[in-house]
Amino acid sequence: MNLLEHESKQLLSASQIPVPLGKILTKDQVQEVSLPAVLKSQVPTGGRGKAGGILIIDTQEKLEEAAKKLFNLEIKGHLPQVLLAEEKLAIARELYLSLLIDRKTSSLKLIAHTNGGVEVEENKDFASWLVDYSKPDINTLGQALAEYFILEDKTFVLQDLIENLITCFKQNDATLIEINPLVVTEDGKIIAGDCKMTLDDAAAFRHPEWNFEAKTAEVNFVTINPEGNVATIANGAGLAMATVDAAYDAGLIPANFLDIGGGANTESLLKAFNKIIEYPNVQAIILNVFAGITRADEVARAIVEAQKSISNLPPLFIRLTGTNSDEAKEILEKNQIQMLPNLESCLKAAKESIDA
Amino acid sequence: MPNLFEGKNVIVQGITGAHGQFQTKAMLKAGTNVVAGTTPGKGGQSIENLPVYNSIQELQEDFQVDISVIFVPAPFAKSAIIEAIDAQIPLIITVTEGIPLHDMLQVYERLQKSATSTLLGPNSPGALLPGVNKLGIIPTAFSKPGTVGIVSRSGTLTYETMAGLSEKGVGQKYVIGIGGDMIHGLGYQACLQLFQDDPDVDQIVMIGEIGGTEEIDAALFIKNHVTKPVYSYIAGHHAPTGVQLGHAGAILGSKHESAAAKTRVLKVSGAKTATSITELISLVK
Repeated sequence: MNLLEHESKQLLSASQIPVPLGKILTKDQVQEVSLPAVLKSQVPTGGRGKAGGILIIDTQEKLEEAAKKLFNLEIKGHLPQVLLAEEKLAIARELYLSLLIDRKTSSLKLIAHTNGGVEVEENKDFASWLVDYSKPDINTLGQALAEYFILEDKTFVLQDLIENLITCFKQNDATLIEINPLVVTEDGKIIAGDCKMTLDDAAAFRHPEWNFEAKTAEVNFVTINPEGNVATIANGAGLAMATVDAAYDAGLIPANFLDIGGGANTESLLKAFNKIIEYPNVQAIILNVFAGITRADEVARAIVEAQKSISNLPPLFIRLTGTNSDEAKEILEKNQIQMLPNLESCLKAAKESIDA
Repeated sequence: MPNLFEGKNVIVQGITGAHGQFQTKAMLKAGTNVVAGTTPGKGGQSIENLPVYNSIQELQEDFQVDISVIFVPAPFAKSAIIEAIDAQIPLIITVTEGIPLHDMLQVYERLQKSATSTLLGPNSPGALLPGVNKLGIIPTAFSKPGTVGIVSRSGTLTYETMAGLSEKGVGQKYVIGIGGDMIHGLGYQACLQLFQDDPDVDQIVMIGEIGGTEEIDAALFIKNHVTKPVYSYIAGHHAPTGVQLGHAGAILGSKHESAAAKTRVLKVSGAKTATSITELISLVK
């Protein structure tokens, strides 16, 4: 799950990483802030500065007007619930620093660049260091970073920063902490100017304290094209992806990806159908289930039950094979639901029904 | 290196759980030599007439162990895998899904220091050697003994391909799911090497997904080290960027992690690529 800037900074601050002094403003409570201040829209997306989501305020009169503007400014489809008002830093340098889980090496990686700020993605030649998970060599990392940033006089400060960053990363089950810019102020302080943090949803069970604006991401039901003309349901992530691929290739426009998992039952199908009927253009549903561990007859019963309770359901094109598929066929046919022999025939029939 | 998948004595960690119990029964039915299991605090019980121990250490006083299959719930899976590594079990297969990444980082560190253990998974359906060994949850009913080696990141897609091949009379020597998580043990490369070295294998099927770059590395390995025909399919050609699709590892980060990019690299590396499972099945002879 991706945190908002103010949530990320709260976690940084709790790990003794310096962040600008700040205040959260809500719609009903735009309180006084110390001036000059930077007012930042708290939306879960990048490119916020370019979209006009960050405003500098130098008088209290301007605060209310600016806040109103930001609360009504939609950025990439997101409206902020809160704003962050921060002290305006006297910036000498803007650097880049991040810590993440590197897939290729299955370890932690510290990444830095001397050129931080909004254009960071255009940078090449990032410096990076692998970090030992259990015994990170803080001293060496801090020294290397100080040399890289040409901040040798701040070696101790950077060693502390790295140590705290690793602690923050581990304590919060983070998969990414990106501090950009890492600001060096005119009076030589090192402060996290902005921060992006991603936490591992799989670790939610050991973090009862997690209470963020973003909720644990729904990974099994994903909208691909809200205007799509066909909905897809499959069991297993790979099969669900393959079903979407095949639908495209057949000339259909899939609205969604849905991995209904091993336990395809009436309840989970009902939930899926209820989401699907919200898509305005969906005229057919492709159900592609390979019952390996699940039993096809149970899935068939679930389909019959779920279909009965939704009146405006688009036609179903079902491919259901695997364990007990003969029983499944019998159950479906008894309820005037057709079962097709393979995915291709489902897609073909769906296309014909939509084009008709 | 002896063939780890042909190991004889198999144990189940988490044998008393609903999943562990059900799958132990299925493995026994398929002829796998499951000898015992563990669940902390449940030592002395028995499941399917097999003895249950509190720990692997206790179990090893009575049995020599070649393979452990883990069904322990995600919050305790890290300890279970590390216990198996410490017990020097040669092949550790983790079926458990949803293990936090930080736990897997620690497991990975231990694994790198271990000279004796290989991990398959987590979030893996395991491995099936039709007629020889069922290690995990891959349903045997749709398999057929033969000479194809299948390696995949996805469970159901593997079953589907295996079933399609069996139906047209093409049997399998190995069906291996490496798991859908970002951090895992055994990868494509090790499986491709196994298939290349095994004289019984004459064709290879490799199924991939969006996210990460493992398929790209595998393609380079195919180019340089694999002489047997490789057929491949990458799922997720129409996946949106930055959104996780089911599997924790299936998230399209950058362009070179896309299904199209991976398919392209596999193709120039000499693999025959398909754009759907149906095509994949039809390619294999």
